[in-house]
Amino acid sequence: MIRVEGDLTDQTGREMFAAAQGCIRRKACEITVDLSSVKNMDSLGGAWLGRLMANARLKKVNVEISGATGQAAELLDMLAPTLSAEPAPGTRRIGLFEDIGGTFLNALSEAREAFELVIEAVYWAVIGPLTGKGLRIENTLDEMHEMGVRAVGIVCLINFLLGLIIAMLSIAQVEPFGLGIYVATVVVIGFARELGAVMTAVVVSARSGAAIAAEMATMVVQEEIDSLRGMGLNPARFLVAPKLVAMIAVMPCLTVLAMFSGVAGGTLVGVVLLKISTNLWLQQTQTYLKAGDIAQGLIKCVVFAFVITLVGCHNGLRVKGGARGVGLATTRSVVMDIFFIIVADMIFAILFYFVFK
Amino acid sequence: MANETIVEVRNLTTHYGEALVLDGVSMEVRRGEIVVILGGSGCGKSTLLKHMIGLLRPTSGEILLWGQDIARMDEDQLRPMLTRVGISFQSGGLFNSMTVGENVALPIKEKNPDIDRETLDMLVRIKLGLVGLSAAVNKTPGELSGGMKKRAGVARALALDPEILFLDEPSAGLDPIMAAGLDQLILNLRHLLGITVVVVTHELDSIKEIADTAVMLDKGRVIFNGRLDEALESDHPRVSQFFQRKPDAHIAPRNA
Repeated sequence: MIRVEGDLTDQTGREMFAAAQGCIRRKACEITVDLSSVKNMDSLGGAWLGRLMANARLKKVNVEISGATGQAAELLDMLAPTLSAEPAPGTRRIGLFEDIGGTFLNALSEAREAFELVIEAVYWAVIGPLTGKGLRIENTLDEMHEMGVRAVGIVCLINFLLGLIIAMLSIAQVEPFGLGIYVATVVVIGFARELGAVMTAVVVSARSGAAIAAEMATMVVQEEIDSLRGMGLNPARFLVAPKLVAMIAVMPCLTVLAMFSGVAGGTLVGVVLLKISTNLWLQQTQTYLKAGDIAQGLIKCVVFAFVITLVGCHNGLRVKGGARGVGLATTRSVVMDIFFIIVADMIFAILFYFVFK
Repeated sequence: MANETIVEVRNLTTHYGEALVLDGVSMEVRRGEIVVILGGSGCGKSTLLKHMIGLLRPTSGEILLWGQDIARMDEDQLRPMLTRVGISFQSGGLFNSMTVGENVALPIKEKNPDIDRETLDMLVRIKLGLVGLSAAVNKTPGELSGGMKKRAGVARALALDPEILFLDEPSAGLDPIMAAGLDQLILNLRHLLGITVVVVTHELDSIKEIADTAVMLDKGRVIFNGRLDEALESDHPRVSQFFQRKPDAHIAPRNA
C-alpha cells in the first residue's frame, strides 16, 4: 500500500516509484497505489506511475490504483491505454547476411534506376529534339547561364593559380639542368590534355552538380516531381534534358578558358622566375602543342559534363525523407561526381596511352 | 484568476516587405479559453499566430504575453517565456532526421537535462498516447501520413506541459474521424490540464465544436471578435458568408 500525498508530480512520483520498487523486488505483495489525496497530476508524475506499472508487469506483480478523484482520475482514465500497453516494438536487428544481401540488392536496383535515367536523358536530350520533340530552349539557356557564364570567374581563377603552382614545381626540378624553357611545354600539355578538363569538372561538380542534386531532391520531397508526372510531363524531358544539354554545351567552353588561364599562370611564373621573354615562352608553348592535345581535353570534358549532370539528377531523384535526405543526396552526389570523374579520367589515360597514341 | 489575460494583442500592424499583412489587430486570450482565429486563406491568421510567439516582429503595436511585451524582447528574454508555450505548425514541423519519439523527447531533454532514460521514455509514450500515436514512437516522420504528422506535432507541443497551446491548422487535411478526435483532445486538454488554446483554423465543424471565442480576420483586419454563438448569428456580410459557406461572386458558377 503506497499513499501519495499532495499532487502527483516529479517529486512525489519519484518517491512513489522508489517505495514500489522494494515491493516489486520482493515479488511478495500486491501493490495498491492510493491517490485519494491527489488533486492534480502532471505528465511527469504520470510518467513515474507508468514506469511503476511497467516494472510491476514485468515481474508479474499486480498493481491497483485507487482513490483517484477529480482531474487526476480523468487524466488517468485518458492515459490508461498508454500506461497499460506494452512498449512499442523497437527496430529489428539486421543479421550479417541479410545486410550483405540487402546492400547487393540495393546496388542492383540503383544501377537499374541509373541505367533507365541515362537512357531517358539521352533520348530526350539528343534523339527527342532531332525528331522534332522540342527541348525547352528558354530553360536550357537559363541553365547555361547559371552553369556556365556564372562559373567563368571561379574556373579561370582556380586554373590560373594551378598554372602558377605547376610551373613553380616544375621549374624547381628542371632548372638545375638548364631545361627551364621546357616548363612551358609541360604546362601547356598538362592543361590541354588533363588539368583544364579535370579542374573545371571538379569546380563545376561542386557548383552545379550539388545544385542539381539539391534542386531535384527538394522537388521530390515537395511532390513537385509527382505533379509533373501527374500532368503527363516526363521529368527526364522537362528537367533532366535541359540541364544535360546546357552542361554539355558549357563544359567545353569553360575547359578552353581553363586551358588559357592555366597557360597564363605558367607564363607569368616562367617570365618572372626564369627571366625568359614572353615571346620566347609563348613560341615554345605553341611549337609543342598539337591539336590532338586539346582534343583530348575536350573529349574528356564532354564525358565529365555527362557524368556530373546525370549523377546529380540520379541522386536527387532517389532521395528519401526530408531536409536530411536532401543534404545526404547532395553530399553523395558530389562525392560520386569526383569519384567518377577520376575513374573516367583514368580510363582515358589508358586509352590515350595504349590505343590512340 | 479565472479571468486572467494571458495574451493581449494591441493595435498590431505588420508588413511583409511592402505588403500590409495585419492592419491594427487587437484581441485577447483569457486563461482556460479556447480562442479560434479564423478567416479565409491568406488573411493573416498564421502571421498573427507567429507574432504571438515572437517569431515575427511587428511594424508597430504591442503583444503582451503574461503581461510582458514580447514585441520588444530580445531572444534571451523570450526563451524562458517560450518554455511555457506549446506550438504546432501547419505541416507538423517535425525534425525529419529524428524518430517521432526523439522529436517529442527533444524539448523535454533540453529543459530537464538530468531526466533518466526510463522516465523520459515513459513521458514520451504518455504524450504520444494522448494523441493516439504511441505505436509510432520509433518511426521517422517520413513514414507517417499527413494526419499522423500533425498529431505528432501536437504531442511535441505538449511535451513541456505548456500553459498555452498554439495550433496552426491542426485539423486541416485530417479525415473527419481524426479531426473529431483532435477536437476532443483539445477540449480534454483544456478540461483536464487547464490549458489555454489558440487555434488557427477554417474548419467550420471544428470551430463549432471547440471555440469559446472567435476572432475573424479579413484582409488583415479584425472583422469579428466575440463569443461563438454571436458569430454564428452575426449579420456582418463577410462573417455570415463564412459560416454559411457562400462562395464569392466571381467564383460562383454562372448558371447556379
